[in-house]
Amino acid sequence: MSWTRAAFAICIAGLALGASAQQPQQPNPRDAVPDKMPNDIPYGMPITLERAQAAINAAVAESKKRGWKLNVAMVDSGANLVAFARMDGAQLGSIAIAEHKARAAAKFRRETKAFESGIQEGNLHYLLTLDDVIASRGGILIIDNGQISGAIGCSGGTGSQDEVVCKAGADAVMKR
Amino acid sequence: MKMRPMLTLEDCKKISAAAEAEAKKNSWNVCIAILDDGGHLLHLVRMDGSTPANARIALEKGRTAAETRRSTANWQERVAKRVELLRMPGVTPVQGGLPIVLDGTCVGAVGISGVQSHEDEQIAAAGIKALG
Repeated sequence: MSWTRAAFAICIAGLALGASAQQPQQPNPRDAVPDKMPNDIPYGMPITLERAQAAINAAVAESKKRGWKLNVAMVDSGANLVAFARMDGAQLGSIAIAEHKARAAAKFRRETKAFESGIQEGNLHYLLTLDDVIASRGGILIIDNGQISGAIGCSGGTGSQDEVVCKAGADAVMKR
Repeated sequence: MKMRPMLTLEDCKKISAAAEAEAKKNSWNVCIAILDDGGHLLHLVRMDGSTPANARIALEKGRTAAETRRSTANWQERVAKRVELLRMPGVTPVQGGLPIVLDGTCVGAVGISGVQSHEDEQIAAAGIKALG
């Protein structure tokens, strides 16, 4: 028997085995249909410049205190840029990333950390195919009286550093 | 060694505050963008009542002025005489963007959008003047 014929025979045997030993498939958790909408937070009035700048100033102060150099962006409830600040010595690549994080948080009504966790821990690789997603923490919503008024995004350090600064900015203006 | 002058965040805040004051004085709502000499955003402020388009346009006017080291009004004049200049890549030839020149060196630019083009430039000039 030639090698090719032997390989072919093994293949056929494998197929037959596969067919006979077919297991019932595990249910796909993504097939579940929840009753409620996820992240159903209404879009509200756009954040005022005054509050957007207060958030940025708080974020920059926190970053300065720790000796970090970050870019901080604020978008309104329409996910459009309202205010931006680049700290002295912050890297250029993070200008766009800071805005992207803020924009993605507003557009998808959740922290950008949700995408990072979904892909890393949840194995939800399809998230990367969704429009304008950024799968990196450091983008947080600003919610006023249950409505989205904007979002803040930070970039320039590690994701964890970005997130700490971002939270400081959001906490400074969030009405609880 | 030759040192490269750079705008600090404090400088940007000074420029932005002066520009905003000039706009407020005239009851104008505009977006103020400040960029470095590489055309990268340093500082942006979109006043209440100005539009998302104003942010985009202010940024692009500023980028044009920063990267080409000349005012966007200069581009506007030159385009009026030579329409083929409209095909220049990355150029927004509309008045309202001014380069920031210190001792003959361009350190960045200011771009304004929100009111009439000559008023936009007036605001940009007021901002740069505050730098001293």
